[in-house]
Amino acid sequence: MLTLKQEKKRFREFLEALSDSYELIAPVKRELVKFDAIKNINDIHFEKNSYFPVKEFFFKKREVLFTFNGNRILEPKFENKERVFFGIRKCDLNAIKHQDIVFMQGANDPYYIAERERSFLLGYHCNEAPSEYCFCGSLELEDYFDMMFYDKGDHMLVEIGSEKGMALYKKFSGFFEKSTRLIAQHEKKIPGADRLKVKDIGPLYDNPDWKKGVDICLSCGACTALCPTCYCFDIHDEVKMSNPGSGERVREWSSCQLPEFSRVAGNHVFRNEREQRFKHRIYHQLDYFKEKYGIQMCVGCGRCIEGCPTRIDFVQIINEMKEGEKR
Amino acid sequence: MKKANSNKKKRKTARKSKISKASKNKNSASRENPIKKSPAISKKTRNSNPYIPKPYKVIDYHKETPDNFTLTVDMKIKHDPGQFVQVSIPGIGECPISICSDSDEYIQLNIREVGNVTRALSKLRKGDVILIRGPYGRGYPMQYLNGNDVVVIGGGCGVAPLKSVIDYIENHRADYRNVLLILGYRSDEDIIFKREIAEWDKKYKVHMTLDKEVHSHICYDMRAGFVTDAMNSLHLSKDNKIVFVCGPPVMIRNVIANLKEKGFNDDQIFISAERLMYCAIGICCHCMIRGKYTCVDGPVFRYDEIKELKTD
Repeated sequence: MLTLKQEKKRFREFLEALSDSYELIAPVKRELVKFDAIKNINDIHFEKNSYFPVKEFFFKKREVLFTFNGNRILEPKFENKERVFFGIRKCDLNAIKHQDIVFMQGANDPYYIAERERSFLLGYHCNEAPSEYCFCGSLELEDYFDMMFYDKGDHMLVEIGSEKGMALYKKFSGFFEKSTRLIAQHEKKIPGADRLKVKDIGPLYDNPDWKKGVDICLSCGACTALCPTCYCFDIHDEVKMSNPGSGERVREWSSCQLPEFSRVAGNHVFRNEREQRFKHRIYHQLDYFKEKYGIQMCVGCGRCIEGCPTRIDFVQIINEMKEGEKR
Repeated sequence: MKKANSNKKKRKTARKSKISKASKNKNSASRENPIKKSPAISKKTRNSNPYIPKPYKVIDYHKETPDNFTLTVDMKIKHDPGQFVQVSIPGIGECPISICSDSDEYIQLNIREVGNVTRALSKLRKGDVILIRGPYGRGYPMQYLNGNDVVVIGGGCGVAPLKSVIDYIENHRADYRNVLLILGYRSDEDIIFKREIAEWDKKYKVHMTLDKEVHSHICYDMRAGFVTDAMNSLHLSKDNKIVFVCGPPVMIRNVIANLKEKGFNDDQIFISAERLMYCAIGICCHCMIRGKYTCVDGPVFRYDEIKELKTD
């Protein structure tokens, strides 16, 4: 992997140059940190990870699948203007990887693909766990980026991870120096982020302690909305009030934590209990996805715990279950 | 039965190799798609946008019961028995419907009025247009049947996907052995496919049960009770039999328990599962049963693949 070096001053100039040529999207601190288009590079927030995951730029909260007028269908035009994301953390880059597997390899989702194709992914490596809920070290995260920036105090070390990243580097090569120093494996580990002590939760399926903590679940769906990997959605039609024959077919984020999620004709709900829904979410993250695609879906960002109104900490619940079984 | 296993293995390894390829190629997404490629790729995907349905003409409407009807649609596609399509009416919405016929010339859709879309579909008549995409899913494994008798157990609307199996057997009669149909309905008002059942009765063993008392004057064997009662009175043996089941969750549960009592193996039982579905292409998660997508891995599952059905 090609490694480059950049003094902090040059790094700033590089960001300036990027924002001159592209739409630059990076974490910004408002009430909460979130990814947004950058007008002034001083707005970029480096300390904490974004409260909201970057997934909404690829797998949008609301996507018009097509518009219709009677039975006539008008297919959407896909945007292809290039844009650059900066400041995506390792967990979120891996989350993008997992969504790529679902939307681009498992299925062929043109809406997602179009948004992905036009995006450069520039990562910013955590020197330490940015939140007390982080546990990315417990999961097998990999290098998945176009460029990755390692903050070394007075300078940045930069890795190029793809042809796309290489093309971007060539365009802005004046801002970089070649580096002889390579990034060591231990530098890619994020210290203090290995809270989850259980590798395989398969054997815990019938453990009665799944009930624990779930009693205070509000079934609000905050966990799935904040999750960078969760990718479920509903599809429904919206019509124009002025002309009920015309409108849009829309897909919108959904949540497996809502009882309606598995309701079928005749009002039968397959996962009617909160415990079942909670378990389903965790098993999908840590077990089912691995069964299907060979890798755990969860990336250990901790957002579902931090953002939970009742702070249900599934990592702690699983750890305690494991401890309990040992005894 | 051996064939069944080897086939399953093949599927599994095929999927695995696809995955390992994907994960080996860690940055495949970004690597394979350098900047210049992106517009071309969007063009390609636009041509095969899996969410876009196509319009088809309704060529027949037949009322089966007060709240159930069968549409015949001018859609010429190859499909397996047990597969389904996504049917939609713009402005109302989309829903999955099993194909209940076996023909290259048309498809039949048996529909019960339970929701907004199905109610709107019930207003359709000959000449009207509906939007359809599909077919989707893994149907009944007709190749497993060779050399075995088939027992078809259906309840209520669950008979619909099974009708495609029966039609298929009729179209390939020489390839299959004995066919036993056990069909259960709530009452004689709820019997769907009356016309077809009369035909089936001439060729196959047909047993019907009604949850409520029998008032009807239909000539074929019909008695009060559940399909499981019929299964018991028939002294169903497990030898050289493959069972296809479809019906409401309670019925499936009882039928499986009954089959297990009779010593049937897991790989002799195939179930068509019903779940809420939106995308039908293995993304949206609504139809997931313990990590398996009903829309892609099903809707027909061999029982051992989704044994946990009763909890989830």
